[in-house]
Amino acid sequence: MKKVVDVSLPVGPIHPCFKEPCRIKCETRGERVVTTEVELGYVKKGIEKIMIGRPWQETIFLAERVCGICSVVHNTVIVEALEKISGITVPRRAELLRLILNELDRIQSHLLANYSYCYTIEHETLGMYLLNLRETAMDSIEMMTGTRIMAAYVVPGGVREDLSADNAAKILEATYHIETELKRFVKMFETGPMIGLRSKGIGVLSMEDALASGVVGPTARASGLSRDARKDDPLYIEMGWHMITRTESDNYARIMLRFDELFQSLTLIRNGIAALEPGKIRNGGEMKAGRIKHTIEAPRGDLTYEIEIDSAGQVVYVSIQTPSIPNIEVATHAMMKNLASAADVTSTFISADPCIACAER
Amino acid sequence: MSILQQLKNAVRQRSIHVCYVNTGSCNGCDIEILACLAPKYDIEQYGIYVHNNPREADVILITGGMSPQWIDKLPDLWDRVPEPKAVVTIGNCPISGCVFNRPGTLIDPPVSKYIPVTAAVPGCPPRPSEIISAILGAADILFKDYEVHQKEKEGSVKK
Repeated sequence: MKKVVDVSLPVGPIHPCFKEPCRIKCETRGERVVTTEVELGYVKKGIEKIMIGRPWQETIFLAERVCGICSVVHNTVIVEALEKISGITVPRRAELLRLILNELDRIQSHLLANYSYCYTIEHETLGMYLLNLRETAMDSIEMMTGTRIMAAYVVPGGVREDLSADNAAKILEATYHIETELKRFVKMFETGPMIGLRSKGIGVLSMEDALASGVVGPTARASGLSRDARKDDPLYIEMGWHMITRTESDNYARIMLRFDELFQSLTLIRNGIAALEPGKIRNGGEMKAGRIKHTIEAPRGDLTYEIEIDSAGQVVYVSIQTPSIPNIEVATHAMMKNLASAADVTSTFISADPCIACAER
Repeated sequence: MSILQQLKNAVRQRSIHVCYVNTGSCNGCDIEILACLAPKYDIEQYGIYVHNNPREADVILITGGMSPQWIDKLPDLWDRVPEPKAVVTIGNCPISGCVFNRPGTLIDPPVSKYIPVTAAVPGCPPRPSEIISAILGAADILFKDYEVHQKEKEGSVKK
């Protein structure tokens, strides 16, 4: 069958809407976008290749620098994988501190994703409100770890620093501040007529497509799939975590789902701080050889590390499967098809929260 | 100094258009540049506008240590930026490659091998306040009396 195409429209690699370089080739018929294709490879560094043959201590810092937005979760997953290989146990206080930091990280990541979306649909006011609110979360992270990004807070056996009662109270205060502010912004997003026009019914990912494609994270949950690695974590269940899904499966649903998850993360942080008891924050142990596959829920979906270390402590094999890989693919093949306008291409792509640095490594 | 030049100096001091180019960074520096936009740091109060369009940029911010895809594209992009222009690199990667500069890597730092770099902000990643002060510092030196310096340069070439 011959395809009827008017113009092949390239978007990127440098584009005002993109945080990272990537190129989207759109085939258009009039204003309608028929198909799209995403071209990656601008930030490929070969991190897995660098990791192989190096001692495991160095891979923790390298894993953190896979992604600057969700560095905490990369740090956590590789450390938990190494702990599982060697059978090192973690004190309860350290586990709770890890949970608190991971949820703070999720808050700042989701706020950044929603800021990017609001900026892409030209609603800069709401975007700036969200970006300013993100600074509150970043301040909490800085208070807890000592730096904004790349904290290396999670270390084998526990965490690097303890959280004092003063700082815990300040984080608690920050969660209440975020909650009151966020309620206003969610209402703005829900009731904004222009936002509705640009978001509702656009970039629909049907449940059949979502099931077939293996999409993960908020993008999957906005299409009605219950996919979340946190459901297997007893600590999260204990802290009152529950699955949030939506059924509209369009751009609006994906952004609203992230807002819903933000409120849940705030509750989890509060419950985590309430459950904190004085005690050790780090256990000792000895590294052993072995191979393991470990998955936890990153802000964008399931993050899997498969790592093998030998008896000398060198990394023999490592493979990182980041959530952005399936999400970018499904955005190209299912969501950005038959869009009514070329302006919806970037907003649909951003609504899936693609992290190019994660996807290419 | 002519009145026109004085006017140009005054205007350029408070109108700096910025474009950021990610040449293989991990996003950390990019989101610190984004954080500068937030009302807390408010980069626009200094007259710095993040457009992310090389054709109207004055200052190019480079993050990342030159991945193979950018080696031919970055000099092209640099040619398209109108004069006067400057490059400020953000983070350790454009200087040395940071943790990625190890055997088996694909990146090829430093960035100064490919395009002229005016200023570099080290840090993994640097804080937003450091990024703002670097842009302001570099722009003041570069764009002040730009035409006068250009004429002096041309004159010296003719002689």
